[in-house]
Amino acid sequence: MSNQLAEIKKNTVDVVTQKIKSLESNGEIQFPPDYSPQNALRSAWLQLQEIKTKDKKPVLEACSKTSIMNALFDMTVQGLNPAKNQVYFIPYGQQLTCMRSYHGTKALAMRVDEDIGDIVAEVVWEGDEFEFEIDRGMKKVVRHKQTLESIDSKSPKGAYCLVLDHKGNVKKSEIMTWEQIKSAWKKSIMNPIQENGQIKSNSTHGEFTEEMCKRTVINRACKPIINSSSDAHLFKAANRSEQVQAEQEAEQVAEANANQEVIDVEPAEAEPQEQESTEQDQVNEETGEVQQEQSQKNEQATGTEGPEF
Amino acid sequence: MSIEFTSLASGSGGNAYIVSDGNTTLLLEAGIPIKKLKQRAGFMLSRIDACLISHSHNDHCCGSRGIMQAGIDIYTSRETAEAKRLSGHRLHTIEPKQQFQIGSWTILPFDVPHDVLNLGFLLANRSRGKLLFAVDCFYVPYTFRGLTHIAVGCNHSRELLRESVEQGHIHPELANRIRKNHMSLSRVQDMLQANDLSRIEEIHLLHLSNDNSDPDIFKNETEKQTGTPVYIA
Repeated sequence: MSNQLAEIKKNTVDVVTQKIKSLESNGEIQFPPDYSPQNALRSAWLQLQEIKTKDKKPVLEACSKTSIMNALFDMTVQGLNPAKNQVYFIPYGQQLTCMRSYHGTKALAMRVDEDIGDIVAEVVWEGDEFEFEIDRGMKKVVRHKQTLESIDSKSPKGAYCLVLDHKGNVKKSEIMTWEQIKSAWKKSIMNPIQENGQIKSNSTHGEFTEEMCKRTVINRACKPIINSSSDAHLFKAANRSEQVQAEQEAEQVAEANANQEVIDVEPAEAEPQEQESTEQDQVNEETGEVQQEQSQKNEQATGTEGPEF
Repeated sequence: MSIEFTSLASGSGGNAYIVSDGNTTLLLEAGIPIKKLKQRAGFMLSRIDACLISHSHNDHCCGSRGIMQAGIDIYTSRETAEAKRLSGHRLHTIEPKQQFQIGSWTILPFDVPHDVLNLGFLLANRSRGKLLFAVDCFYVPYTFRGLTHIAVGCNHSRELLRESVEQGHIHPELANRIRKNHMSLSRVQDMLQANDLSRIEEIHLLHLSNDNSDPDIFKNETEKQTGTPVYIA
């Protein structure tokens, strides 16, 4: 079995690891600086060994290699980690899929929009005091008062999600009615809604209604943030690593070539001084003082010669 | 008289510096139009004996024609003269590592890496003053003895440049070009480290980038390193 496992690992995790590495080194894919694809893949491998299909078969045996690789790949390119419950691996027949949990959705939304400080959700129960209004086209929760009794009513009226900035101000809010939540759940593969509109009590949605409501409304609020993002967070990480790389390249070239050979000007200190002084004399003979002296001498000469004539 | 180094213009908008030892006054670079040069140099313009030009980029030589017309001789490489179509009796072409004399200055041009042929200048005068002048270079390949004055391009800080890219102020490609064509503060520091500074009197940091540098930090860091007065052009 261990040999078999090693074989499967070699054909899946190791292939994905290699692929991710080569994509990363070619600059075709970039990860946020706080994400280690290797760690995520390692956690995924540990989890995959435990997951079983409906027929209690290990997914590593039951699911196709390609689907395992794709699931691992999907997880990594989104920068998510199964150890933080950001994704779940769910087998559908021979196909292993990677489902993003609402923790993953939250993490991704907060990564693409750095202004987001937190994303919170609440369920509105029968008997709660809940008020909202529409302000410039945006739904705004004005008041929500809950009592222990209303929570225990166990009958949800709706749910809302608030996307907060770092100061705690609401950036965006999403409100869903109970009917809207149920119709969203109908689309789920598990379809927990019975024909009569009631939730199957033994389903996850029936057992953990509050959590599932929160999950649905958080997904609804985050999806537009993620889908309308420009991959800027990936580019930012890309820029950072590229910059560091380019910087190091330049630095290496400079270090290897800078400040090498000693060069100096010929000690032209004494010579030019002499040259210059003789030059100056010559120049001066033509235009300056020396010439004046000579002309004075000449004048004197003519002066003395003069009277003789 | 010791060397007097004055900056008339510095940076990618244009470069022009005046260096004088009291006997001969040189204009280093002609990167501003003659009209501006006249305004900024004032009475010094009439004292300029010659002009040295490092390379053919406009922020270093756009005023060269006007300067020749004003009766000032220009010394530059053949490549730069050809690129800027300079000719006439006011043009003197010079070769790397072939020293020449202008008045009281002995000048050794040397090649520095940039994206076009670029010259640095080592200028020595009779009173043992020695100025190193190098701008727009990736690094300075050489070291020098007994420098009294250093005037070098110190364009950016690595960290600030990286920040500018991250914030989207400049394109990553441009940043790469800057890295391979201009000295960063840390490269200038390496250069200062590698040279004999026993006789150094003044250091001038030139051609600081508007976005990717911080004059106060550059000045303080360099003064701390060298214990020499540092001037930011």
